[in-house]
Amino acid sequence: MRLELRSLCKTYRGQVALDSLTLDTGEVKALAIIGPSGGGKSTLLRIIGGLERPDFGAVRLNGKEVEYDQPNLIQYRRGIGTVFQAFNLFSHLNALRNITLPLEKVHGYSPSEAEHWARELLRHFHLEEHALKKPAELSGGQRQRVAIVRAISIKPKVLLFDEPTSALDPEMSAEVLELISQLKNEGRDIVIVTHEMGFARAAADQVVFLANGAIVEHGVAEQVFSRPSHPITRTFLSRVTRFQAPV
Amino acid sequence: MYRRLWRGFTPRATTASGSPPRKTWIYLALMLTLTGFRVGCNSQDVRVVPLIVGMELAYPPFEMTDSNGSPTGVSVDLAHALGAYLNRPVRIENIPFDGLIPALKTGKIDLIISSMTATPQRRQSIDFSDPYLKTGLCLLVGVHSNIHSISDADRKGKSVAVKKGTTGHGYAAAHIRNATVLVLDKETACVLEVVQGKADAFIYDQMSVYKNWRRYPDHTVALLEPFQEESWAIGLRKGTERLRTQANRFLVHFRETGGFDRLADKYLHEQKEAFRRMGYPFYF
Amino acid sequence: MSNRERLLVRLFLLEYERNDTTPSLAVRSVNLVLAFLFMVSLFYFAFSRVAYHWAWGSVGRYWPMFVKGWCVTVLVSLAALATSAFLGVFLALVQRSRILALRYLSKLIVELIRGTPLLVQILIFFYIVAEAFQIRNRYLVGILILSIFSAAYICEIVRGGIESVGKSQIDSARAIGFTHRQIYRYVVFPQAIRQILPALAGQFVSLIKDSSLLSIISISEFTLNAQEVNAFTYSAFESYIPLAVGYLILTLPISLWSRRLERKFAYET
Repeated sequence: MRLELRSLCKTYRGQVALDSLTLDTGEVKALAIIGPSGGGKSTLLRIIGGLERPDFGAVRLNGKEVEYDQPNLIQYRRGIGTVFQAFNLFSHLNALRNITLPLEKVHGYSPSEAEHWARELLRHFHLEEHALKKPAELSGGQRQRVAIVRAISIKPKVLLFDEPTSALDPEMSAEVLELISQLKNEGRDIVIVTHEMGFARAAADQVVFLANGAIVEHGVAEQVFSRPSHPITRTFLSRVTRFQAPV
Repeated sequence: MYRRLWRGFTPRATTASGSPPRKTWIYLALMLTLTGFRVGCNSQDVRVVPLIVGMELAYPPFEMTDSNGSPTGVSVDLAHALGAYLNRPVRIENIPFDGLIPALKTGKIDLIISSMTATPQRRQSIDFSDPYLKTGLCLLVGVHSNIHSISDADRKGKSVAVKKGTTGHGYAAAHIRNATVLVLDKETACVLEVVQGKADAFIYDQMSVYKNWRRYPDHTVALLEPFQEESWAIGLRKGTERLRTQANRFLVHFRETGGFDRLADKYLHEQKEAFRRMGYPFYF
Repeated sequence: MSNRERLLVRLFLLEYERNDTTPSLAVRSVNLVLAFLFMVSLFYFAFSRVAYHWAWGSVGRYWPMFVKGWCVTVLVSLAALATSAFLGVFLALVQRSRILALRYLSKLIVELIRGTPLLVQILIFFYIVAEAFQIRNRYLVGILILSIFSAAYICEIVRGGIESVGKSQIDSARAIGFTHRQIYRYVVFPQAIRQILPALAGQFVSLIKDSSLLSIISISEFTLNAQEVNAFTYSAFESYIPLAVGYLILTLPISLWSRRLERKFAYET
């Protein structure tokens, strides 16, 4: 995928969330967005996903400009798979139905096609035994994984992850990150906002460091992590990786 | 063990210092309610005990309230005169009409002086003094109702309003077969329904029909010829023979000393004149 | 503590120390009977102090009136429930409309109705409004008044239910690419219903009880019929106790069902 941002601005209630962001990733498979809390990462991801409208500026995905008005916006959203930090799944439906409902109502699958495809995906990711359970009956990790299955079931252009493991304990985090890693290896396009520096370093091709609504640094993941050029990046990374074992 | 049961009353979460005051209050409350039950059974000198008279203050000019909200009217004056005669202070209790007999039966009031007719059904529940006023049931009809008598009113498609618990209600229940009977709790509601045409007729006593007709002359017609005669009396609880004898003696005394004439002049002057002109006997 | 003490404690008290064990069915029934007996003896004590002689026979003659009145109450309540459910949902949706004036209009109506007594509304509606519009059938007017009254409360219940659906659920639905209508249909309403149904059942119970006020415009429902029997027989208790029982027959099952609904939906979140 190729992601371009042109002077992207967003303000919330007088606070500047994104300050005239400009970016061109070129051809990239996995992009990680890192940075301190409140830096604008989630906002950026939501704008890329079509969930928020920028106040100014433009977003271009794979050469095509994102149009933020109806009905184009809904069409655009339907081509993107998004996974949030929590509460992705609809709590009144079981896992299978959570996946088949969008397939049927948004993408026009017939009920049998939808179920077949959903079951196949669940099987592929070793979740088929949870197919008929409601979200309340699943663990946090299982819920996130089902949410990821739902996101990929629609065969999206891009997968967006907004801190998918932040609400999980280390063990569940690991199983989710493993899945994301698997997706990346299967060749899907991914943009992930995360605090998991180790994962970002290992799985991402490029990384963007966002702080105070501005892109402080952007580059090849390995380079940014091992030799950050900006002092802010350096401070942030050293603080965040202080208690981590060296990769 | 009893300590354990007692402590079961309050959740474990209370502190040790918190429990005792709560227990004392519970004890006190229990004691007070138990002693409270014993109050009220006195045997004082009957003369000093007030005479509680029940009436519904919604029936001018017999039972009504003045601009200050105090009871006034024929029945109120009658009650006070009775009290003076018996040398007992009088307290008026304002009770809805169909609640008067239950109140009398349970002892909340001692007498009913509320323009109540002595009917055989009522006599099954309570006693009555000798009658003090004769009147009759008649009709207040709407101008467009095309009704000229009670038999006219009892036709299919017609509706007859009555006030709940009155002899009009009793008559309607017993005799009205074809028309719809609308039972309402207030005289004013019944009159309003006739005025608005929602009801064709209202069965009530002559004086009130006359008075309401005078208030809405353009919308109503008063058919004052009574189709059922009634007499009003004072209601008493069964078994209070002594009070009944006293009341009867009072009524005789009151009539002989011109008390009723004074009341008629004070409250019913207009009716007295009108009825005299129309040739209906005036009834005390 | 001796064994006897232990037994008494287990029979009559709820153990707070041990981990939340529900007492056996036998213990629960014994204590329920105890509570019931206490209530009965309280009533008995109250009545015995009043030198009342009971006349069930004279009231018993009028049983057709009780039955007829009860049926009218049931019918009026059902009609009002159906109408008010529609109206209530409509009002709730209008409150979320994009046209600001409509939103305010709905809020105004709801506040007005919730803030005034039903008795006042019945009198104003029947003697003034219905008169102005020349609506003559008092049963229709009665059902209408009751429906509008109940609709205001249902509107609040529905609104609360809709707003209780987490924003993240709606975000999820938006990210999937559901249209506005689809979000309501597949995500918001199914979840809101779980909140709304138990409260709605409670509102139905209130409606049945509130229908007794329609007696003042001479709608021949249960309460009015009981009052008439009282007027004929002068036996207030014998007329009104069956009245209370008759309402309980209607309201108790609904209350119990509502509680079952609450428990059923609680497990799902």
